[in-house]
Amino acid sequence: MTTRERFQALMNFRPYDRLPVLEWAEWWDKTIDRWHGEGLPKELTDRYEICRYFDMDIYKQDWFQECTPDCPEPPRYGAGIVNSVQEYEKIKKYLYPTNILDKKSWELWAKEQDRGEIVIWFTVVGFFWFPRTLFGIEQHLYAFYDQPKLMHQMNSDLTEWILKVIEQVTQFCDPDFMTFAEDMSYNHGPMLSKELFDEFMKPYYKIVIPELKKHNIIPVLDSDGDISVPAYWFEEVGVEGILPLERQAGVDIAKLRQDHPKMKFVGHYDKMVMNKGEKAMRTEFERILPTASKGGFVVGCDHQTPPGVSLKDFQLFLSLFREYAIEAGQASQKEL
Amino acid sequence: MEKLQELADLIINGKAPDTEKLTQELLDSGVTPGEVLNDGLILGMGEVGRRFKNNEFYVPEVLIAARAMKAGMKILKPKLSETGVKPIAKIVIGTIKGDLHDIGKNLVGMMLEGAGFEVIDLGVDVTAEKFIEAAKENQAQVIGMSALLTTTMVNMSSTVELLKKKGLTDSIKIIIGGAPVTQSYADEIGASGFAQDAASAAELLKNILN
Repeated sequence: MTTRERFQALMNFRPYDRLPVLEWAEWWDKTIDRWHGEGLPKELTDRYEICRYFDMDIYKQDWFQECTPDCPEPPRYGAGIVNSVQEYEKIKKYLYPTNILDKKSWELWAKEQDRGEIVIWFTVVGFFWFPRTLFGIEQHLYAFYDQPKLMHQMNSDLTEWILKVIEQVTQFCDPDFMTFAEDMSYNHGPMLSKELFDEFMKPYYKIVIPELKKHNIIPVLDSDGDISVPAYWFEEVGVEGILPLERQAGVDIAKLRQDHPKMKFVGHYDKMVMNKGEKAMRTEFERILPTASKGGFVVGCDHQTPPGVSLKDFQLFLSLFREYAIEAGQASQKEL
Repeated sequence: MEKLQELADLIINGKAPDTEKLTQELLDSGVTPGEVLNDGLILGMGEVGRRFKNNEFYVPEVLIAARAMKAGMKILKPKLSETGVKPIAKIVIGTIKGDLHDIGKNLVGMMLEGAGFEVIDLGVDVTAEKFIEAAKENQAQVIGMSALLTTTMVNMSSTVELLKKKGLTDSIKIIIGGAPVTQSYADEIGASGFAQDAASAAELLKNILN
């Protein structure tokens, strides 16, 4: 199977030869810095070159920025740049850029995808994340009650922009999946209620998702934290997958699969065991393998490989990953 | 009293201007500051905490409730000092050195204020020295530390160690919380307590101080 065929088989619950061996997110810079000191060739800095060095599957991602590089920065971490309709109107000239694609890269990627060598995905911010970046973390949470009209205006404008992104991207190819960056949960569940989700997010998802589906692009939610409860809300609006399913936040893949038989999952391998030795790493693979062998689940680290993991730890992790990837593939031949 | 229940309901529904107004009205009509605090504001925040714990309320609802509480306290605070009503205890709170994520810490602060504690918020990225200095300066009985990241969580032990070194463990207790923090981690570093969520912090504190 090619990289792309393998992904398509997995995501469509069909038998596959092996699991992809993947770091789905961008490498953590501190981890790469550490590995450069431990033997990873110093000239290797490119995300995909590093994947090639480790002989991993390559999923190429483009994260489309909804604001221009000269957009004003918040004064400090967590603060906002907008607090009123007037301020939003002023800042709008920095938002929703029209030329979002690096056409040369996308032409090349489309050819690689066509040959089955890579899986292509893209990311846009979602309807929780985006107003949060404008209002700031805390003001955003007040804004659900204090500035509902402005919140709707922001999300309505974002919807228009995402539709344009889809239109531009699909001129080159139909990406295999895409993610809505939301990060709307913490370790006790979602930051907001279903009522607020229905009021401020659902209407916009209902517009965007049909456009993605016209192009067979799988819509996936990207949210840290415990997404067990919001998984239902997102499924209701047509989102088909979730990542990274953080173990530390208490996400349990077996339970999630039982509750959502058709959803597609990415990630979930507990990053905290990656420096705990072979026994701990094997136990973690064996915990998630029964779900992976039934399809619809691209296994990977449940965010990024952390800097606490040495190059030697990671190489051991990879060799075990390859072993269990084949085992899951063999099981899928019987189970699917 | 019906009006005190009305005040509690205003807190629950996050109505800050109305809370401020009714607090003033109650004081003007002769209700004691202690009653307004305990049977109105604290009663309301207690219910908010209960609903938050049971996933009936989420972070936005807690924030607007706490804002309403603050509006009431603005009117009430001078009257409380005049009549000698004291807070249950004083606590200094902050996020641990290296950690800028403060929403959990802010929620804890709001819940504690809502339960009758005096909270001195040191903000984010707080060193062990600063925690202890502030606790001593304000005669606080408790230090509350929060971390979101596993990479910063480890700095919590420095505060515990420094407190031990200074021989202050009898007079100042340490409680910890945050996404990666667990009871076993609290035990490991020798903290006095761990709160699973913001709503549990007040209960934990009352138990520790008793």
